[in-house]
Amino acid sequence: MVSTTPPARGRFRRLSDRGLAVAFISPALLLLLAMSVFPLLWALYLSFTDYSATRGGPARWVGFGNYTAVLTSAQVHQRTLTTLIYVVGAVTLQTVLGFTIAYLISRRTRGRGVLTTLFLVPMMLSPVVVGLFWRFMLDAQFGVINSMLGSLGIGQVEWLTRQRTALISLIVVDTWQWTPFIMLIALAGLTAVPKYLYEAASIDRASEWFRFRTITLPLVWPLLLIAVLFRAIEAFRLFDLVYILTNGGPGVSTETLSFHVYKVAFLGFNTGTASAYGILMVLVVIVLTQLYLRYLNKLKEG
Amino acid sequence: MRHPKRTGRLSGPGRKVQLATAAMLLVATTMAACGDGKDDGATTSAPAAPATIPELTTDPLTLSFIWFEWPPAQALEAFANEEYKKERPNVTIKVNTVPNANWHDAMFTQFAARKTDFDIAILDSQHIGEAVTNGNILDITEFVKNNIEVDAYNPYLLAAYGQFPQAETGQRDENASLYGLPLLGDTWTMIYRKDLIGDEPPKTWDEMISVAEKCQADNPGVSGLAFHQANGSDAAAVTYNTVNGVYGGNLWDAKNRKIEGVLNDAAGQEAMDVLVNKMKPLTAKGSGNWFIDEVNAAVAQGKACIAFNWIAASGGLLDPKESTLGSTREQILDKLGFATLPSQKTDLVPLGGMGMHVSAYSAKDNQAEALNFMKWFERADIQKKWAAAGGVPSRTDALESPEFLNAGPFNQVYADSVPRMRDMWNVPEYARLVDIENTNVNAALNGAKSPQQALDDIAKEQQAVLDSSNRKGGGGL
Repeated sequence: MVSTTPPARGRFRRLSDRGLAVAFISPALLLLLAMSVFPLLWALYLSFTDYSATRGGPARWVGFGNYTAVLTSAQVHQRTLTTLIYVVGAVTLQTVLGFTIAYLISRRTRGRGVLTTLFLVPMMLSPVVVGLFWRFMLDAQFGVINSMLGSLGIGQVEWLTRQRTALISLIVVDTWQWTPFIMLIALAGLTAVPKYLYEAASIDRASEWFRFRTITLPLVWPLLLIAVLFRAIEAFRLFDLVYILTNGGPGVSTETLSFHVYKVAFLGFNTGTASAYGILMVLVVIVLTQLYLRYLNKLKEG
Repeated sequence: MRHPKRTGRLSGPGRKVQLATAAMLLVATTMAACGDGKDDGATTSAPAAPATIPELTTDPLTLSFIWFEWPPAQALEAFANEEYKKERPNVTIKVNTVPNANWHDAMFTQFAARKTDFDIAILDSQHIGEAVTNGNILDITEFVKNNIEVDAYNPYLLAAYGQFPQAETGQRDENASLYGLPLLGDTWTMIYRKDLIGDEPPKTWDEMISVAEKCQADNPGVSGLAFHQANGSDAAAVTYNTVNGVYGGNLWDAKNRKIEGVLNDAAGQEAMDVLVNKMKPLTAKGSGNWFIDEVNAAVAQGKACIAFNWIAASGGLLDPKESTLGSTREQILDKLGFATLPSQKTDLVPLGGMGMHVSAYSAKDNQAEALNFMKWFERADIQKKWAAAGGVPSRTDALESPEFLNAGPFNQVYADSVPRMRDMWNVPEYARLVDIENTNVNAALNGAKSPQQALDDIAKEQQAVLDSSNRKGGGGL
């Protein structure tokens, strides 16, 4: 039976499509303004002052004083170098391993889903949990890594308390956790490569290496570069693993830029300096990302 | 790849209206966020507590503390809930804990927000300067005059946990203001293996090193020494400061705020040389990030001949469930001895422990209850009960009482150490000073810097922190 009852007269004028759109978007917009845009602008303002969150009192305008101090500080230069070594080391290793694993998995037809799921497990863990169990595993006295090395006749290695091994340990742990991310994206790219290209190459008796170099790699490359971009940004702001595994030590040799910002912000509560430091880090990421994206677009257009 | 031109873009006026709305929203958000305006021109000196305890509420009330996670925190909560409830049945005591490394941040980020979820902050003695300068805790000078028997304490203990500006070692300024009262006294104890080095502990630092060296050589798998070396909290810094004191060094010239040339003088250099070149080789491989728990684990597992640790953290060593040294407390005590630190050129020991400080941002009822709790806690009978419950009191009568001296084998060590204590710098810049020292001592202990370089860097960087108060921008670097 079809109802003939007319719709009830609304007390308010009906919302237009645009009004409805605004009503739906407003909560998200407000949240974004309050949680992201405002803090960013506030940090930008504070970066030009000597404000301290604990000292109270009015914020004194210091112009570009904080920026000059950050850019000319030997401490910051040292942390930049550490971060750079870490980012290049970790992302390179993850890309090579991630792509290799994805390539090998993509060639399998049986058990592919199970393998992919297993490889993804580390990525799903909290970095703090990962840091804690790796800290135990890498312990020089009772860690399982040294125990395994011992059974191979290799002596104890001080993984977390020596300058070189501490940074290598960070790279290894980050690689263990985030290689699956690269693998996942690379696998998506590999799956999307049209089969007929390989079939045509087979008919032409192209070698495996030739097929990889001229079909697989060029088609997966843009997607892989996006994964590298995400990982590089993540690695650039590494904090949690450093905090748990080495606390920046020995000395300050594994202090990354983010860890140093944290110290400036919360040890001395130099909020103004820390804001300038943070803004500069954001700027570096934005500029590098823009350059990278332009290269990526050029690649796609080509 | 070309993107298609977007459609449905707003016309000029409509877009302007939306942009204006967004701008207004942003301004409104900013105003809301900064609305109370308390930061502007806010006073930065500690507000005063009432001289007498205001009327207490009869409604249910939770009195919250903040401390770091370790056995005394649980002991305090259990003790206070059992004993204080007898007098104030409507009050529940809650001791919130955070990991040691986050302790300072957890308190001071809340202070920064001018809102705390704790009523009593348990501050390290060196945090007082920062909290007082920022107006985060109450000035209880008048309250103490009217409610606390100040003569019942060793003056230095009363000063160390409450006075600002800082007390000189062994002295208390009667005219200085007080911002806290002692909660838990502490210092380092030397823990030694009686079964490996004999019943008599070494008396001098040099003797201690040679005994540890021999013990390590005679007992493969057991390291000569175990001590704090980590670069977090104040771990490595306290270790160096202790050796520095014992070898006659000074951390700074407090009067002239001078560190460079004082810390790295001949005595300071000798101390760093002893620590890095004589003591470090006697520690276990990979112990460069050890702190309280790791040192205790090494002792409990029988892996160290001589160790140094805070007394308040040593109770677990006597627990047979956590030790391989014996199946009963008595068996463990047959093997473990506790002694005051060896002396060398001086007999200084590090001051540990913490005081109770009332949050300036706590509700009035809770502040009143906090003051009442502190008055109750500092009573002679309660201090003795606290001692019997495993706490380390500060009143002299409680320190000399059998309740305290018989409660643990290391309590006599504390009582004997009180006249020998020395603290670090209690200034607002403490957190940065201790970080500089921690990271550099840790670097020297782990071969990332030479001892001389580390010491000179500490002196130079710490001096820069003290001198940077009038710097225009870049503070904290």
